[in-house]
Amino acid sequence: MPEPTAREMTKGEPPLPAGLPLMEKSPPGLIILWREIVRDKLALASLVFVLLITSAVYITSFVLDQAQVVRVDLFALNKPPSSDHWLGTDYGGRDIFGQLIIGTRNSLTIAFLVTALTGLIGITVGVVSGYFGGMIDNFFMRVVDFFLILPFLMIVIAFIAVVPKYSIYSFTLIMTAFLWMGIARLIRSKALQERELDYVKASRTMGSSHAAIIFKQIMPNLSSIIIVTMTLNLAANIGLESGLSFLGFGFPEDTPSLGTLVSYARNAQTLESRPWIWLPASALILVLMLSINNVGQALKRAADARQRRG
Amino acid sequence: MSKAMHARLWLPALLAMMLLLAACSNSANNPPADPPANNDSNTEAPSNTPEKEANEDGLFSIEDFNQIKTNQGDEIDGGTLNVGLVSDTPFAGTLNFNFYSSAPDSEVLTWMDEPMLTWDASYVYTNDGAATYEISEDGRTFTFTIRDNVNWQDGTPVTAEDWLFAHEVIGHPDYDGPRYDGSMINVEGMAEYHDGTADTISGIEVVSDKQLRITYIEATPSLVTGGIWAYPMAKHIFKDIPVAEMSASAAVRQNPIGFGPYKVESIVPGESVVYVKNPDYWRGEPKLDKVVLRVINPSNVVQEIRTGGVDVVGSFPVDQFPDNANLSNVEWLGAVDRAYTYMGFKLGTWDAEGNKVVPNPDAKMGDVNLRKAMWMAVDNDTVGKQFYKGLRWNATTLIPPSHPEYHDADNPGVAYDPEAAKQLLEEAGYKLNGEFRTKPDGSELVINFISMTGSEIAEPLSRYYVQAWKEIGLNVQLEMIEFNAFYERVGSTGKDDTNVDVYQAAWTVGIDVDPAGLYGRDALYNFSRYASDENDRLLKEGLSEQAFDKEYRLKVYKEWQELMVQEVPVFPTLYRASLVPVNNRVLNYYIGDGTNMFPYNVALSQDKAIVAN
Repeated sequence: MPEPTAREMTKGEPPLPAGLPLMEKSPPGLIILWREIVRDKLALASLVFVLLITSAVYITSFVLDQAQVVRVDLFALNKPPSSDHWLGTDYGGRDIFGQLIIGTRNSLTIAFLVTALTGLIGITVGVVSGYFGGMIDNFFMRVVDFFLILPFLMIVIAFIAVVPKYSIYSFTLIMTAFLWMGIARLIRSKALQERELDYVKASRTMGSSHAAIIFKQIMPNLSSIIIVTMTLNLAANIGLESGLSFLGFGFPEDTPSLGTLVSYARNAQTLESRPWIWLPASALILVLMLSINNVGQALKRAADARQRRG
Repeated sequence: MSKAMHARLWLPALLAMMLLLAACSNSANNPPADPPANNDSNTEAPSNTPEKEANEDGLFSIEDFNQIKTNQGDEIDGGTLNVGLVSDTPFAGTLNFNFYSSAPDSEVLTWMDEPMLTWDASYVYTNDGAATYEISEDGRTFTFTIRDNVNWQDGTPVTAEDWLFAHEVIGHPDYDGPRYDGSMINVEGMAEYHDGTADTISGIEVVSDKQLRITYIEATPSLVTGGIWAYPMAKHIFKDIPVAEMSASAAVRQNPIGFGPYKVESIVPGESVVYVKNPDYWRGEPKLDKVVLRVINPSNVVQEIRTGGVDVVGSFPVDQFPDNANLSNVEWLGAVDRAYTYMGFKLGTWDAEGNKVVPNPDAKMGDVNLRKAMWMAVDNDTVGKQFYKGLRWNATTLIPPSHPEYHDADNPGVAYDPEAAKQLLEEAGYKLNGEFRTKPDGSELVINFISMTGSEIAEPLSRYYVQAWKEIGLNVQLEMIEFNAFYERVGSTGKDDTNVDVYQAAWTVGIDVDPAGLYGRDALYNFSRYASDENDRLLKEGLSEQAFDKEYRLKVYKEWQELMVQEVPVFPTLYRASLVPVNNRVLNYYIGDGTNMFPYNVALSQDKAIVAN
């Protein structure tokens, strides 16, 4: 029976074979995650970078006037970078630097909101169906199947054509509607494993309510996997908006976004002779996604004891 | 390519900012060139690729462009010409002159079909076409004689029966195309036939196989400048198809037929068409073996031209010209386009039963002061100079300068003056309440503005207008819509979207100056749904017998232009130049009207397209 040994080890009581170091109490999940990041210099640098960019963008965009940034200026079409326009202007005479700041804010806001909302829905559905199992599980999984077979891109494009006032929030909602299933599946499988463990049964026998078991006992055990998935999703979601905008289904031009800036490069002339329009945005997307991904990978290792570095 | 006579009517060039028909004209300033200038021998000079130079302000002028390509090199036998149709949406594919309504379709049609009559630089029918005509003393009866060697592409002769058949189809109650209109009703007996009270059209008589006589109710000056329906329909193919199903039939969509120089070999719907030559073409054997036409997205068009992927395009997005003015492998042809961009105000609705406009006096845009202020608020001069480098310019009246005699150059339109606009609104009762103005009754004023996508700068341009209107305190909400959906909402099917208040669109106009097809009370294309007694009167006068006197007709249309400037049911924003790049290997190419050149003569000087350095 291997189990008792394991249990005792985690309690740090020492019927241990001689020669092994004394085990201390295993640190809580969040600390492990943090340690892993600190140990991985690249991940740490990435995290600092993401935080810096995020705060810089949100603070600066507070000062910038969006209406002023997206103002069409007939006398400043396609101007290269200068002291007036640090990163030049686009074909509507609009300042690229301002658009970059506000665009990054918009793109990040979308990514954060979509990640948070899909997380909320996915985790709720996943935990509930995993924990209760049976009919409930069956029902929710069929709902998930239903959403999975819908042609996501086609529906989003049709939706964009239909909605008259297309804003960050409507975009977030339609995205959320199609992106929560992955998380739900993942969490459900973990919750299924978890509910078979003795601590859940014990808790149940002692009369804890389902809600208490789910929130106080199962969720903390799933926390590391939740954090890891959400971080990796965040990176993917930044690309999501950019991708759609690039295809021409993004925001109208009075709502700057990274994708819109990149999509100007679809014009061969802009691509070849006016790199200031699309290069900064492209570089920023690349760096942001890589950085978030670095952090996510570090967290992923932390969640799996076999891969941990520290 | 542009020899197609786009109906005698003002044609709805359902076009985006740039999806313009190639058709255009430089009319009177450019005398018709001598027949195909085949002067290969002496044209090796460097002047062959004249560099188009901007003046010191970086502006270009349409006057520096030719309508006819200078030839370089000697003709080779056959070859394949690659033609681009610049559009960001598929072409509709209604490939018959009797049914089509969109500009892209007409670009496809020009290679395979043509009208019976051709016209000269001042848009008057000539006797050089597939048919000749004679007019009776009273000017009402026309006798047409079709040339003997004019045959459909399947070998069947084009007969007077076919020409009559086209009239019968258009007049049929089940006809679903846009051609049954004022000038069609002008054929004697047409209205009775349309109502079903007559079995035949009394005014059309088939004299012999090749002779047709048409009598019109009223002799109008526009009869010889596009008032005649000159597109026969192949009766041997269409006779068994019910009229209601014709426009959707395979004979229109998949295997279209004409009597032009090239016949359709295959079609990928909405994307491309392959033509092969029609060796029996009546003017002579075409010089090319094949023509391949395909749709090219505006954002790729420069790349395609530079690499020789296409030799010519039907129309080129003018806003991309300044960056490419010096491409080494093409020559740029240019002409004043028979078109203008305009801003329309919705002033009523369409009565589909009565086939007429129903003005709504309570329309949101009903106040002429509001409309005029919106015109004053926009600086089209600067728009033309900055966005189009002078290749589009401030428009003043609704008859474009492509009709130099009728265009009233002395009418200044409404000048840019935002301060006067504010004052005008103030006096009309539109008071500022915070950032925006309210209606005179104090309620909120939100103006819904739609504009179409399609060109690179469509969106910034529309946003500029919104901005300009905001400056004078108007709350205008913009929606950008794809081209086909745009016209549907504006009213191309008669079901107007009542949420639209202002729209930005463009017209390619017909060769006759008569604007009734666009602004008449019974015109479906009168999208602003404006009608007034004075307007009716002037439009009628312009076609009256008295108007055979040119001075009188000029006076009437001058008055009409002034009326439109006063009433502002729509206001023109920009006149336009059409520019077309032509690969240096292409010979005998031309754009616009009155060049006396024809597509069958287009040839190549080498097998492979020339690539830019």
